[in-house]
Amino acid sequence: MSENNTKTKQTAVSGTPASNATGQITQEQIARIKRMGKIKNAGGFAVRHIVLLFLAVVWLIPIAWLLLTSFSDYPGVNISHFFPEEYSLENYSKLFHPDTVAQFPRWFTNTLIIAIFSCIISSLIVLMTAYATSCMRFKGRKALMNVSVILNLFPGFLSMIAIYFILKTFNLTNSHIGLILVYSGSSALGYLIAKGFFDTVPVALREAAYLEGASEFTVFCKVVMPLSKPIIVYTVIDSFLKPWMDFIFARLILNSGVSKDWTVAIGLYNMLDRTLINKYFAQFCAGGVIVAIPISILFVIMQKFYVEGITGGSVKG
Amino acid sequence: MSKVKSFFKGIGSWFREFGEAVVKGDAFTRLSLLVMGAQNIRSKQVIRGIIMTVVEIIVILYTVLIGSGFIADLATLGTVERKVEFNMNTMKNEVNDYDHSFQILLFGIISVIILAAFVLFWINNMRNAYQLQKDREAGKHISSFKEDMVSLINEKFYKSLLFIPCAGVIVFTIVPLIVMIAVAFTNYDKTHLPPTQLLSWVGLDNFKNLFSNSISLTFGYTFRKILVWTLVWAFFATFTTYIGGILLSMLINNPKTKVKKLWRTLFIIAIAVPQFVTLLLVRNFFADSGIVNTICSNIGLTGFLRDVGILEAGMNYIPFLTDPVWAKVMIILINIWIGVPYLMLIATGVLMNIPGELTEAARIDGANKFQIFRKITMPYMLAVTGPYLVTQFVANINNFNVIYLLTQDVYTTTDQALANSSGKETDLLVTWLFRLTQEEYNYKMASVIGIMVFVICAIFTLLAFNRVTGNGKEEDFR
Amino acid sequence: MRKKLLATLLATTMVVGGLTGCGSGSDSGSGSDSTSEAKEKEDVTLTVWGAEEDQEVLSTMIENFKTEYADMANWTIELGAESESKAKDDVLNDVEAAADVYAFADDQLDALVEAGALQEVTLDTDTIIEENGGSDSGSVQAASYDGKLYAYPMTADNGYFMFYNSEYFTEDDVQSLDTMMSVAAEAGKTVAMTLNEGYYLYSFFQGAGLELYKNDDGTNTCTWNATDGTYTGTDVAQAVVDIAKNSGFKSMADAEIVSGIENGEVIAAVSGTWNAETAELAWGDNYAATKLPTFTCAGDQVQMSSFAGYKLIGVNPYSDYAGYAMTLAQYLTNYDNQVLRFQERGLGPSNVEAASSDDVQSNPAIAALAEQAQYATTQRVGDNFWDPSATLGKILANGNKKNQDLQEMLDTAVEGIVAK
Repeated sequence: MSENNTKTKQTAVSGTPASNATGQITQEQIARIKRMGKIKNAGGFAVRHIVLLFLAVVWLIPIAWLLLTSFSDYPGVNISHFFPEEYSLENYSKLFHPDTVAQFPRWFTNTLIIAIFSCIISSLIVLMTAYATSCMRFKGRKALMNVSVILNLFPGFLSMIAIYFILKTFNLTNSHIGLILVYSGSSALGYLIAKGFFDTVPVALREAAYLEGASEFTVFCKVVMPLSKPIIVYTVIDSFLKPWMDFIFARLILNSGVSKDWTVAIGLYNMLDRTLINKYFAQFCAGGVIVAIPISILFVIMQKFYVEGITGGSVKG
Repeated sequence: MSKVKSFFKGIGSWFREFGEAVVKGDAFTRLSLLVMGAQNIRSKQVIRGIIMTVVEIIVILYTVLIGSGFIADLATLGTVERKVEFNMNTMKNEVNDYDHSFQILLFGIISVIILAAFVLFWINNMRNAYQLQKDREAGKHISSFKEDMVSLINEKFYKSLLFIPCAGVIVFTIVPLIVMIAVAFTNYDKTHLPPTQLLSWVGLDNFKNLFSNSISLTFGYTFRKILVWTLVWAFFATFTTYIGGILLSMLINNPKTKVKKLWRTLFIIAIAVPQFVTLLLVRNFFADSGIVNTICSNIGLTGFLRDVGILEAGMNYIPFLTDPVWAKVMIILINIWIGVPYLMLIATGVLMNIPGELTEAARIDGANKFQIFRKITMPYMLAVTGPYLVTQFVANINNFNVIYLLTQDVYTTTDQALANSSGKETDLLVTWLFRLTQEEYNYKMASVIGIMVFVICAIFTLLAFNRVTGNGKEEDFR
Repeated sequence: MRKKLLATLLATTMVVGGLTGCGSGSDSGSGSDSTSEAKEKEDVTLTVWGAEEDQEVLSTMIENFKTEYADMANWTIELGAESESKAKDDVLNDVEAAADVYAFADDQLDALVEAGALQEVTLDTDTIIEENGGSDSGSVQAASYDGKLYAYPMTADNGYFMFYNSEYFTEDDVQSLDTMMSVAAEAGKTVAMTLNEGYYLYSFFQGAGLELYKNDDGTNTCTWNATDGTYTGTDVAQAVVDIAKNSGFKSMADAEIVSGIENGEVIAAVSGTWNAETAELAWGDNYAATKLPTFTCAGDQVQMSSFAGYKLIGVNPYSDYAGYAMTLAQYLTNYDNQVLRFQERGLGPSNVEAASSDDVQSNPAIAALAEQAQYATTQRVGDNFWDPSATLGKILANGNKKNQDLQEMLDTAVEGIVAK
């Protein structure tokens, strides 16, 4: 434990007391510079915000198109006008009045259930792995970590069919349990960011707890976890989102062709099938919007934690 | 090097202890060779002993009844092909007792793994038995079952923590991987599809295919071409989003920027829509006769590009995703669109932590903004996010979604040699691999490619990781 | 023996774990309970896969089947959605888990039979062959492999033809592609066709007498690079390049054809019923259809050929109730249901009697396909055809901008097509 590294660590954790002291000086300095160049800054101020506005527009154009198309009364891909000629809510009402192709409410519930379970399981797995590798010292720890690095280098799709047949022997294909297992089964390999975060939790805190006779289990639950809100939020969001995004594994495992068993991702992907796109593109957009709303809200609310979690963790692997 | 040495030393002493236990152990220790846990029972660790014996019985039963058969078949991958006879009376098919080659491969490997793990467990059992015997003879305290259990939430807590994660990784990653690596040495392709057809071992033939090059067999050519693009893509995808994310977050987090939270939220919305939705959307957005092309030709951009020679004569649309060069540029640009908001979030967190006095001192010394960025911000960011960059590079080599969703069913190659082995200019190794399995059932070549991807990633990681992380001195941070 | 033990072990695991999946019984059909002669009603569970668009009409048919055949067994029939053009992909991923009865396009038949995913039709075979026009008829040929019937013909309209807007073209115009293109060019409109797919590109080469077919071992024979004969490969390739360069023509993918028809740019197209529906809606009474036109090849007018397409229903030999599945498949493709399918979905029957009804005959698309039938061939092509031919088509559709040597290009394409 050399001194300069202690410093690095302090600065790595956001909002530690150390950076506040320097922060005050900065504020003062900034104020002085501001006074000096007030006139010059007015121009810079405008430029800065115009650039930001421009970028924001670029970033939001496809999203705007998504929204607009979802309110269009033309069901296919409108290639001649950016803005729909006629607006209607029909796409949304169709989504909630399922036909044989689009069973959106079912897909949504399916995905939600799968997401909740795989989120709980994989968050626990990730946090457990991270704690064990970060806070405990045991024989084979380094070896385990190296193995995980190696495993992460293989492309995941390679083993798809093998996973499928393993699940099949347990009769878990075509079931949501199987899909949950696939999503959470190897989640331990994504422990690095959480481990990085735990590494920044001061060791002294844990040592104090040990001295008071706390068991490792108690330290895990009562000392480290409460300090790790950001990384918990990050892990939870990350694993919650997976089932909403994946259509490869979902399509492989839910292969009965019965569309009420599908997840949102397979369902929406299927709507863009060659034979269906001209009737369902606008509904696809509406579905995308509906899925995006809860996720956006989640992101906006949890933004602060998410940022702290990922930076605290990826600062050093 | 010393690591390797100590590793082998460790293995050596491990076996020596086993030998010692066999030679010097008492009756119960030796009995543990046959009945695992015998010494434990003798030393009053009754429950523990019984558990070990039960495990032994289960494994032996499994091996004798099921595993041994699979392991034996592993050599040939099955010999009896499926035969169906329709029985008019029962209205059912009568099927012979056929061999399912892939099942044999899968369970053969699983059985071997179980057996190997069991042997390790068994050797370890001997060492522990001998240790236990010595402890008992020396009159030392022998932990009771209850104490063992309590230690699982204390000094052995890591065992409880890691049990489920390791099991998950073994079942859902390691076993499938070993099976698929094995497939690279079989003839698993569209003319050998289990369960109806049998597989057989072909040795290194598939690897030879990848490196040979004839007119009708263009895997070698395709592999080289796709590999180059994979690396180019990984480089650009990683660094464009990285630098873009830092610049954007500096722009937003600058004290002079008003309503920071609003700006950040606007960019976050772009990533809150599931990636496959945005990508499929963008693909239709930039289609040859899509909305962007309509707008471009309405405002005269298409005509202008044609006049200056960027578009060839006679083109009345911009081939955003259908021409190799345009498509590659567009893919990288679209990836910036997708990746920058994430990096912006990360950079926001890291930048907030740059020691204020550093930049302040530089400013007082008369450094301009660019110098501060180059001399202070960037080095700090690089030092802090180096490992992230390396993992990101590897992740981009394996980045499936962006390329697959943007080019599948849209892009047709004009390179005939590529087409002859189902590749495209825009393919990454992983998307090529995926399409080989899903469209051509060419699992054997897909596995070979998968192994090559691993080799490439491994080489890169070895080179980069040691340099960037300074050999992971995690202890120093404590 | 071992397999059964494994199955038992896993069954135990399942029960213990309390996990109940709704998957298929893996290979329990191999049981020796065939001796149970007791003819009491059996519980039969079947899964059917049909196209997304056909789900409604299929569920009606299945309901009717259940009542009509109530004496035969206690039916539990589940209906799933699986596009006919992609059925092969999902069936071959795991034959054991695929539906007992599934619909697919006839070009997948060979691959499915070879992978053991189709049950030979052994119940009422002669009746089925006869209803579909005898063993020489296109639909029976398309459903046969090695002279044996492996599937039940369902529709005979899965090929392509020419449909056009009669506001612009007369019936004489549509006899020749050249005339059509000049009419379109004059009106500032487009004749559309997908050139960068082997499926359509075939029509030119086959029309000019160059051969492409699948060998027994799954490879292809292809003479598209022929340098002798009435027309050489380069003659045809040049003809396609000329067509692609014509201002009254545009090579478009399916989605573009649809939007082109809707915004009025496309006034005629070579495509199938899947796109003709849009044209019928957009053009109303002006919608007309006919056989494919002739095209100019080395100065002559040559009739375009095509792939005749059929949709079939097959039975999975891994089904636990193969015989019952056959009964259901036969029912789904019988006269009544082909008529129903035509009425509800406008799909052209393969059943001769159903196809000869006035209603069917007066449908432009089906009449056009019938007219094209004499120039069409069954689609029997090995997988290696598609990628090289798509690339060849794309180069030609771009008007061979890099001026590559046509013969060389054809040679490379043929190398790829005939490769093992």
